[in-house]
Amino acid sequence: MTTMQQSLARPGFTANLQAFWAVTRREWTIFLRYPTWVIALFIWPMIFPMAYLLTARALSGVDGSGLAQFQLNTGVSDYIGYIAVGTTIWMWQNIVLWDVGFALRNEQMRGTLESNWLSPTWRFSFLMGSTLPQMVSMAMFMAVAVLEFSLIFGVRFEGSLWLSLLVLLVSIPSIYGLGFAFASVVITAREAHAFVFLVRGLVMIFCGITYPVTLLPEWMRSVTYLLPQTYVIHAMRLAALSPVQLADLMPDILSLIFFGVFWLTAGYLLFNWMERRARQTGSIGQY
Amino acid sequence: MSIWAIEAENLVKKFPQRAKKDGNGKKNKKFRWPRFKREPKALFTAVDGVSLQIERGEIFGLLGPNGAGKSTTIRMLCTLLEPTSGTAHVNGYDIVKQANQVRQNLGTVLAGERSIYWKLTGRENLEYFAALYHIPPAVARKRIDELIERTELKERADELVEKYSTGMRQRIAISKALLARPPILLLDEPTLGLDPQAARNLRELIVDLQKEGHTILLTTHYMEEADLLSDRIGIIDTGVIIALDTPEGLKQRIGQSEIVKLEVSGWYEKIGEQLRQLKGVENLSAHKSSADGVWEVSLHSTDSRAILPGVVETVNHNGTQLLNMNIVRPSLEDVFINLTGKALRD
Repeated sequence: MTTMQQSLARPGFTANLQAFWAVTRREWTIFLRYPTWVIALFIWPMIFPMAYLLTARALSGVDGSGLAQFQLNTGVSDYIGYIAVGTTIWMWQNIVLWDVGFALRNEQMRGTLESNWLSPTWRFSFLMGSTLPQMVSMAMFMAVAVLEFSLIFGVRFEGSLWLSLLVLLVSIPSIYGLGFAFASVVITAREAHAFVFLVRGLVMIFCGITYPVTLLPEWMRSVTYLLPQTYVIHAMRLAALSPVQLADLMPDILSLIFFGVFWLTAGYLLFNWMERRARQTGSIGQY
Repeated sequence: MSIWAIEAENLVKKFPQRAKKDGNGKKNKKFRWPRFKREPKALFTAVDGVSLQIERGEIFGLLGPNGAGKSTTIRMLCTLLEPTSGTAHVNGYDIVKQANQVRQNLGTVLAGERSIYWKLTGRENLEYFAALYHIPPAVARKRIDELIERTELKERADELVEKYSTGMRQRIAISKALLARPPILLLDEPTLGLDPQAARNLRELIVDLQKEGHTILLTTHYMEEADLLSDRIGIIDTGVIIALDTPEGLKQRIGQSEIVKLEVSGWYEKIGEQLRQLKGVENLSAHKSSADGVWEVSLHSTDSRAILPGVVETVNHNGTQLLNMNIVRPSLEDVFINLTGKALRD
């Protein structure tokens, strides 16, 4: 028997950062190797809002004579822009629930989750690392949505690009925190489609993706204000469609920061709970 | 540093059992009043007090049938599972309290070809896992080239893993475990699903790794593999190590026993009972062979020649026919049969 050569591992903070970056690169490389993403990128921003837009057109009349009431309720005359913003935010949350929420579950079903878990890397990196490419693809998705709505439907985004980006930035923690919490529950429950349908249904009805929440009955409005997506949609409509100042957005931004802290903390705690539970039950290796 | 590479003491793992379904197909969950609390779940014991010490530089084989507790044991040692009770140390580190240090000292191959990314190339897989094992990028590049060369994948290293054969994927999975040059390797059924040539190559690699100083814990249900590779073997059944010795030591346990191997057509259970009652027959196992209607029967006896007339008479009866008969030295499979009364593949 010969003497073993020394281990090549050099653990430490930098090594953990490199591991995080490796997860991000892996996810991005795999994403690019499924070419259907290009089709999804161009088709989806149009398909989903289309049903709402055509319904709105039917209700308002071809000449737009029915729009007065809509303007009275919303303060906005451009119903296409109004619906476009609401549905795009809904699609963002929906895609995050499927992509981030099922990131670990997909690894589990592929069989690769265990081999990741066997490494000495900080385990939350696996969830965070797969989120970054998702954010990039979502940014592309939103850019395509803006282009398509401008060029095809003539929506005029008269607000501020920078304020819109700020709203997006402060929305990220709550939208993705919810995704992290989901990912942790999904890995334990192994079946969470019903939860996804529930959450996206709640967002669709309570957050006013195509109508102002003020139209909802009072009991429903009290639920509305508990959902961060309500604030995202409201703030984004203001920032993208109207010439507003930062001060006009502050109530929404502060609410989103609060929800962001809450959901990120909840996501992290749930992840740790799941990780401990998985070690006890062996659920990491179960398909 | 501990003198043992791996040391486990009375490891126990129990899993909650799912509620059984009643006759109507509904889960039989009982709730206790007044707190409306579900009754405690029944527990299934997968590993029941496993104790073992593995020396540095040793190949230790954990041999047992499917469901015996091999994989659960290995999953506890590599920190994927927490034991219900008992302790274990890997390279001196506690598997519960120092889980991260344990992972730094281990190279593990579980689930073989499914443990790598099929949409990445072989090289990309190794680059990814090198980062997860905290190997600096420049060192990793050199090490990856070395492993690709060693596992004869140089020509195909930049192709997607989905285009590889099972054997090639397994070689990438093993390379992944070797990346950080860990002192201890845990290999869970490494040759499962490989063709004979690929399995032979992999066994040669395992022997070479031992020569380089790696300690190897190998689980398998292939007795020839355990016999060929292992310095010592622990035979595990229903979560308990029922024997632990060198392959030769284990075979000697069944003393002067010889094994009478029969091939029988038209076998039925009652003949087995009659054969068991013959004077001199210590144990018997029977299973259907791959050939149509042919059963392979192993009889353990201290004096095989003395039982032959009775065996022939009993078997050639009521349409049953003896097709072939051999007297052989015991193998590990026979040791297992002798210890448990059943074959490894049962």
